[in-house]
Amino acid sequence: MQGRVKSSTTTSMQSLVARSALLRSTPARASSLRTFASSAARSQAVPTEKPVKPKEFKIYRWNPDEPAKKPTLQSYNIDLNQCGPMILDALIKIKNEMDPTLTFRRSCREGICGSCAMNINGQNTLACLCRIDRESPKDTKIYPLPHMYIVKDLVPDLTHFYKQYKSIEPFLKNDNPPSDREFLQSPEDRRKLDGMYECILCACCSTSCPSYWWNQDEYLGPATLMAAYRWIADSRDGYGAQRKEKLQNELSLYRCHTIFNCARTCPKGLNPAMAIAKLKLELAAD
Amino acid sequence: MAIQRSGLQKEILALYRRALRMVRTKPPPTQEKFRLFVRYAFKTQATALSPRDVSAIEHLLRKGRRQLETYEDSQVRDCWVSKEMYEWNERDRRRAQQHSAS
Repeated sequence: MQGRVKSSTTTSMQSLVARSALLRSTPARASSLRTFASSAARSQAVPTEKPVKPKEFKIYRWNPDEPAKKPTLQSYNIDLNQCGPMILDALIKIKNEMDPTLTFRRSCREGICGSCAMNINGQNTLACLCRIDRESPKDTKIYPLPHMYIVKDLVPDLTHFYKQYKSIEPFLKNDNPPSDREFLQSPEDRRKLDGMYECILCACCSTSCPSYWWNQDEYLGPATLMAAYRWIADSRDGYGAQRKEKLQNELSLYRCHTIFNCARTCPKGLNPAMAIAKLKLELAAD
Repeated sequence: MAIQRSGLQKEILALYRRALRMVRTKPPPTQEKFRLFVRYAFKTQATALSPRDVSAIEHLLRKGRRQLETYEDSQVRDCWVSKEMYEWNERDRRRAQQHSAS
């Protein structure tokens, strides 16, 4: 508190009083300066005091250092008027002010990195894009992504998910790309990729899919399948046939039973279910 | 007669053998350190847990697999061994000697 008052006074001092006074100021004089300035600050407008708006957050906790202990829900009470509007703001506030041991992933806080995917009130979404429900007096429950192995608290182990993504070779494969110019694509061909290339691999869709829950080891899951179709649909890719060949089996693709949880939960508003449907159509037409 | 082992026990032993095989692929001067590291990791964690705590053991098994995968990389040529591990090794050796003497 002391430090904050002092720093705001120094700026006002520079404009009000002669700058030389500041230069001459010694530690002995600092206290007298502070009293003068704080009385000036008091006459300025004070932000209106907002009433306390409490909200309870119940957060899944599990510590790998004590693997014998069962996971628990820990509750935290927060004043919403002292907190940002999103769930991620609340989590950061809890971590900063109440419990530094709370663990979660976060990076961009604007829904572009996909780090903060978690299960909030039963819905997989990004904490940074999910508003805190201010109206309802009920508590908000926060869990990690369902049916994933947990590293700690809200951090799931996504190794397998990334391995699956790697297995579809998510990069352009073409044996003879034009060497002398750019690799061009017609606007229509480009438009085919819309709604797919925006995927940020937050794993919200895959972990909301019951088929993925039960067959994680073999079924690729909506996120990976949409990425697979993104490369099959690309007009510049030359390995479409081989890519499709890889998916021609019981589990990789056909475990999708068109449940549509993926499309409903996607925090980016994409539709993996449609990409899978198109993929099935193309494979059936082969 | 062979000992009847549960599936979980077999999986752990398989992981332990895989870890010990990993040690042999490392450059000879550092193998001793790797071996100590593997033994320490398995034996201390085995004594810290109740054998009935299946979910905890499964978690450690998964963690161990992931860890071993990185150690199996041929780029990993050395590992760090703490003082604690050396002390544990000393104690373990003395215990073994006493055991064979008695």
